[in-house]
Amino acid sequence: MPAEEMGKVTDRMRFGLAVSSLLFVAVLAISPFKDYRREWKQYKRAYLRFAQTRPDTKRLTADYSPDIDQIWIPGMNVVDRCTTCHQGITQASLADNSAPQPFRAHPPIPHNVREWGCTICHRGQGPATEVAEAHESTLAWEQPALPTHFMQASCGTCHQSDLSETPQLVKGRQLLAALYCVGCHKLQGLERPAMLGPDLSSIGTKVSREWIYKWLKEPRTMVDKDGNVTVNGYETEEEPRMPKFRLSEDELKALSGYLSVQKAKSLAAYNISPAVVRSWSKNPELISQGELRFRQMFCSTCHSLAVTRAGETKLIGGNIGPELTKVGSKVNPDWLIAWLRDPEAYLPHTRMPRYGWSDEDLYKVTQYITTKLVDSDLLTSVPKLDPPTDQEVQLGRRLFTEKGCASCHAIEGISPQKDFGPGLSALGAKNASELEFGTAKIPHNLLSYIQAKLQDPVSVNPAARMPQYNWEPGDLDAVTTALLSMKGAPPTSALQNLVVPRKEASFQPTGSFAEVYERYKCYACHKFNGYGGDLAPDLTYEGSRAQRRWLVEFLKSPQTLRPTLILRMPQFNMSDKDATTLADYLSMVLEHPEVNPATIDTRQFTPAMATLGKQLYEVKYQCQSCHTIGGTGGYVGPNLSNAGGWLTPAWIEAWLENPQALVADTIEPHRNFTDEEIKALTAYLMTLKTGINAQKTAGISRGRPLAPGAGR
Amino acid sequence: MSIRNLAIFAFGIVALGGVSGCRKNAGTVKADPLLAAYDSEPDWTDSTKMLPLGYQQAQGKRVFYQYCVWCHADATPAGPSNRSNLTPVPPLLNDGAALNTESDEFMQNIITLGGSAMGKSAMMPPYGRTLSAEEIRSVIAFTRAIAQPPYQPPGRPGSQYSAK
Repeated sequence: MPAEEMGKVTDRMRFGLAVSSLLFVAVLAISPFKDYRREWKQYKRAYLRFAQTRPDTKRLTADYSPDIDQIWIPGMNVVDRCTTCHQGITQASLADNSAPQPFRAHPPIPHNVREWGCTICHRGQGPATEVAEAHESTLAWEQPALPTHFMQASCGTCHQSDLSETPQLVKGRQLLAALYCVGCHKLQGLERPAMLGPDLSSIGTKVSREWIYKWLKEPRTMVDKDGNVTVNGYETEEEPRMPKFRLSEDELKALSGYLSVQKAKSLAAYNISPAVVRSWSKNPELISQGELRFRQMFCSTCHSLAVTRAGETKLIGGNIGPELTKVGSKVNPDWLIAWLRDPEAYLPHTRMPRYGWSDEDLYKVTQYITTKLVDSDLLTSVPKLDPPTDQEVQLGRRLFTEKGCASCHAIEGISPQKDFGPGLSALGAKNASELEFGTAKIPHNLLSYIQAKLQDPVSVNPAARMPQYNWEPGDLDAVTTALLSMKGAPPTSALQNLVVPRKEASFQPTGSFAEVYERYKCYACHKFNGYGGDLAPDLTYEGSRAQRRWLVEFLKSPQTLRPTLILRMPQFNMSDKDATTLADYLSMVLEHPEVNPATIDTRQFTPAMATLGKQLYEVKYQCQSCHTIGGTGGYVGPNLSNAGGWLTPAWIEAWLENPQALVADTIEPHRNFTDEEIKALTAYLMTLKTGINAQKTAGISRGRPLAPGAGR
Repeated sequence: MSIRNLAIFAFGIVALGGVSGCRKNAGTVKADPLLAAYDSEPDWTDSTKMLPLGYQQAQGKRVFYQYCVWCHADATPAGPSNRSNLTPVPPLLNDGAALNTESDEFMQNIITLGGSAMGKSAMMPPYGRTLSAEEIRSVIAFTRAIAQPPYQPPGRPGSQYSAK
């Protein structure tokens, strides 16, 4: 360029500068444009346009601001900007599906969403302002939003006591306890019970080495070619507690050998009186009589049997004790007799009650079990096993600890390894980066990890020691929910104050009642002050409800009050003394504070009152739709044919006044009876008396025996 | 550098900026409807089909299976249903032909006050003192969710508006 032209601005340069300045301005303008186009701002404007289409525009936009909205709850780690886009969450008029997301109102829940924020329940990233960052797990954010199906996990993080609103969580917690997960894992809110799996100290006196081998290889569970889970070939709803361990042939031989020599307590064989054996052994009725006795004693309340009806085989009976269809091929007959006579002598902490057996019953029932409840093919797939060598026993002993058997089963001389599996009390708070996914092709988030690990432990970690469980789909999701709920101790004191702790119930009776109570294991089925099983009625207020005389009769010869039930109080063959001890304690100690049977004088009930009561019962209130008297009526509530011989008038009056005040979740509707009507109905019910007669059962299907919370 | 090159370069920047400014993240996961539901209930007329339930409907399901199932279903958790003992026979809860035409208000009233108060069978007891109004509303929501033929809410025309 010549020197004279230096400093001279040519048109060409001018033009160039102009263009580049314009471009520069344009580039600068990108920033506000990008800002204008930000995702959350688009939702903000969309909400305004949407509100215009609704009749209540003014209310919908009353607290609108064009900026980021935020719910900030100091002390609870909540900084939720979700309402920036989800602007209608508290607008009642946006509740139905005609309102598009993200503007739809939050469905009504027990918590105010403005007070609690969103991420406490939904997880996800509260501070994020983009859809993906808020809801999904990205590289920088590790908590994806929880699918609604598992939302109950969030309830459980604070509500450690069970809520009726969260059935899936409650079920999951029950499964964690029932499957003995605490054997190996520390779990929030779950204490290790006194007994997990059976004590194996004397297992060698009970079953053969072959049976142990088969059990270890396939613990009852088999999956047939259609993928149905079967127990000994029968379809079942119950999952056996013993999971399947992946054991090699040598390990199976060693463990079965080791267990078969466990005979800490030698078997004290009981000899049934030779006279009984002589008179019955040749009797062709022996087996059918044994079966009849087995049924009459209601063993089926706790134990199930496979029954074939109309070509369909299914398990019928309870699940408190093991399923017994093939138990005759499992146990040693001498062991069976000794066990039935005194279960605790073999297994401390068992829930099997000690029945009062006559030699005759004992002979008949054990003959029935060892003759009829058998399967000659049960052990055909098991190789021939000789008495174990020392080497096998040594290896078996080592495996017993290494495989984690000792975590659930006791054997003399072996103490359980502490914290055999990893603690899971804070599993629900883990970030994806803290988890091992191995080569598993699953989304890298906590939910997928938990489900994969539960379904197939080696899929995420080939070296996993965790055994194999077979899950029903609902059960898998329930357990996942319960595990997700365990987020460890809350990080801040404000959150700690929110935790609703689990109530520990206990009932520790004393004296002669305690001995009888423990012998018959009343708590296996009944609840006392919140402690015990829920198969049978809660007896906390039984002294207020039932007449003492009736209690004695019932205990000696239990008959159901609900004709459709198939699970019933077993026939314990109780002595007069035992029945009186129990009835006395129930009447004197287990009373409702407000319902005192002694305060009502039955002489006040006149025949005229009873006539009016009958009319009210049959016409005005039509109680017969749920209750049976004589042969007619419904079977939702208890049979009232013997109400006068069973219930105390004080209880009937209090019950009619307000049933839920006595049994919180009973289904009996709380009616608005007048005092006169209550007296009349009580007078009528007190006239209903029969002896306690056997009532026919209707229905054979299996199911929960009681309407939940039903009064009786 | 020629103007043309400069212009191309500048437009490139603008275009890049524009594209990144318009980046959309709307690709939310298309979830399984049951995974996005609080609970579910098998269709009573076709047990292979699962119906998703929201929070309120799920609470209704719980109340139903505690209080109502005994007379308003063919099978109960304890075995046979009590329906056959009753005259007139109570409707099944999913009976859309019978219940879809009843308003929410009527349903709320008959559950609260009982059958006799509404000119129906006295065998239907009043639950207004046993259940809360909210619980009764939830049972109605559950009824609507499982109705066959499906329930169509009356009145309000659906909004044609969509967010994006």
